[in-house]
Amino acid sequence: MRRIISILLQNEAGALARIAGMFSARGYNIDSLSVAATHDAAVSRLTLVTFGDDAVIDQIIKQSRKLIEVLEIADLTSRDHIETELVIVKIEVGNESLNNFVAALRRHPRAQVIDISAGVRTIEFTGNGAEVGEFLDDLGRVGEVIELARSGTAAVERGAAILAQA
Amino acid sequence: MNAQLKPTPLATNDPNKHALAGRPMSGADIVVQVLADEGVEVVFGYSGGAILPVYDAVFRFNHAHKVGEREPLPLIVPANEQGAGFMAQGYARASGKVGVAIVTSGPGATNTVTPVRDAMADSIPLVVICGQVPTAAIGSDGFQEAPISNIMAACTKHVFLVTDASKLEATLRSAFEIARTGRPGPVVVDIPKDVQNTQLVFDGASRLPLPGYRARLRAIEDARLDDAACKTFFDALAQARRPLIYAGGGVIAGEAAVALRAFADGFGIPVVTTLMGIGAADTTQVLSLHMLGMHGTAFANYATEDCDFLIATGSRFDDRVAGVPAKFAAGARFLAHLDVDPAEIDKVKRVDWHHLGNLSRALERLRAYGQTAGFDPLGKGSYRDWHAHIVDLKKTYAMNYARDAAQIQPYAVIEEINKHTQGRAVIATGVGQHQMWAAQYFDFREPRLWLTSGSMGTMGFGLPAAIGAAFARRDLVVIDIDGDASIRMNLGELETVTTYNLPVKIVVLNNYGDGMVRQWQKLFFKGRFSASDKSLHKKDFVTTILSMCRA
Repeated sequence: MRRIISILLQNEAGALARIAGMFSARGYNIDSLSVAATHDAAVSRLTLVTFGDDAVIDQIIKQSRKLIEVLEIADLTSRDHIETELVIVKIEVGNESLNNFVAALRRHPRAQVIDISAGVRTIEFTGNGAEVGEFLDDLGRVGEVIELARSGTAAVERGAAILAQA
Repeated sequence: MNAQLKPTPLATNDPNKHALAGRPMSGADIVVQVLADEGVEVVFGYSGGAILPVYDAVFRFNHAHKVGEREPLPLIVPANEQGAGFMAQGYARASGKVGVAIVTSGPGATNTVTPVRDAMADSIPLVVICGQVPTAAIGSDGFQEAPISNIMAACTKHVFLVTDASKLEATLRSAFEIARTGRPGPVVVDIPKDVQNTQLVFDGASRLPLPGYRARLRAIEDARLDDAACKTFFDALAQARRPLIYAGGGVIAGEAAVALRAFADGFGIPVVTTLMGIGAADTTQVLSLHMLGMHGTAFANYATEDCDFLIATGSRFDDRVAGVPAKFAAGARFLAHLDVDPAEIDKVKRVDWHHLGNLSRALERLRAYGQTAGFDPLGKGSYRDWHAHIVDLKKTYAMNYARDAAQIQPYAVIEEINKHTQGRAVIATGVGQHQMWAAQYFDFREPRLWLTSGSMGTMGFGLPAAIGAAFARRDLVVIDIDGDASIRMNLGELETVTTYNLPVKIVVLNNYGDGMVRQWQKLFFKGRFSASDKSLHKKDFVTTILSMCRA
């Protein structure tokens, strides 16, 4: 089962490497990972998407919690949460496919063309995992995707609940 | 010579303020001062370019604080940094204190990777201080540069690369705190040479903010067994007729052997121990069943199979104990688990009841609750059949060997030594058959007498560990029971023994080969002894050690 794990981390040299290293050393897969400093510059937030059954996720969380710099960690999957991911995609759009491309963009109001070059369009899209998947599938039918960059999922709990108080 | 390290009168009336607070010191002097403040009484290490400032500071500190011929911080030099790491481990295992090794950058530091990982796997508190190339040279493939914080990250409880000299003192103090608290483990502090040479002001008390770690630690330390948890435990235990304690290294690390024995004796519950838990129970006692697992005694394993209630205490259902978790203690209707590490609960085997917290206090609490609640299986004779069964198992499956063999049997050697030591000597081992024989045939009446590389299984552990233990327990006989192949891995440390004139006894059980490997090759590879036969080796161990004893 797909899981979204959020981690607050003391923002120190090597902290990210230790998290990633622990995952690979213990054989846990990382499907996506996003990380950046928070509004508190001393704290980074990681959002990690992984797959596993309850026992595996339980171990991942417990082993992560043993890392000295980890401040908080939670599996957001079981909580009411909001997730979003940014994707930037380049596709080939020739004159013959321009109408299809425009139609596809209309089906995805959150898609935005951020660069237009001869025969190539660069589009930005944000949405949750399923929405990103649908958008890319749809776009793939219009023209050939030649480059793709995804930010990895970021997620927070819905409402007033915050991880720092978990 | 080293005026800033000399104790000075208190500058203020604050009794908590360090006498040297506010003094200018170099980074290297701060390293040594923190070691002294942390109660370090011996340091193991090998010098080299990137750690020279710290070595110089140790020299000056010892010179300034010498009492007669006694140096406050003796620096013991091994043949190889791996030896230093295992000496620090032997010291830590035998004393319960943090062991310290100081090595140089690059090869000096990478040579300690094995003892550091070994300490992690067996939860041994170490602080390893490594020199590093100057901050500006990091990442330039400089001479004797290695990415130690990356390498060590995977095998330590924590690693620090000190790039901000102003954090050096707090980092060192925090390194000791992390090493000894919670589930103990090794902490590496990588210190670039320029940081060692930076002029700083000594604070005397600074520590790093470790909010996540300290909060989790406090939660475990403050955890108490409430009445409801105790009641659940005893309601289930009251149904049991064949309870068993399965004690691991956590009992030793947590200094919980006294509480464990009081609990076990108070209710008449037999005890099996893991390899790391040896010494948790007094092996000479009737209800002590010695070691369980792949190389354990048959009677310990049968008792584990026959029990109907298992109390795992500071143990972790390791694969050498619970090879097939589903079949381990399959007859137990109730599994209880006490530990300090949340990640060990339900990791291998799901338990019915668990408690996370200080082991000693938890066992004391359970004993007191049981007594108050009138739980008195001994008085009621609830375990009479179980005790008879234990006695019968120990008799029927007693450890034995070919006592009438013409050749000296290794077991006979250990039994004979045991008659002299009577479970009160420090025994270190290498890894392999001799290690298992020592585990099986020696008695251990107290914790911290049995020093062995349990989880990592590092050959070459025994001799340097015994050297370290000789500094921790000057009051006890220290013996390295070693194999001919294991001792060869750190044979150079024979010279360390003679150089420092240490009272370490070495017994090599020479079977001309990797005995444990041969045992497996016999069982699983049709007796093809690939690379494990050393019968062509021409070494004479006695002559070897004599060559290290200059007349």
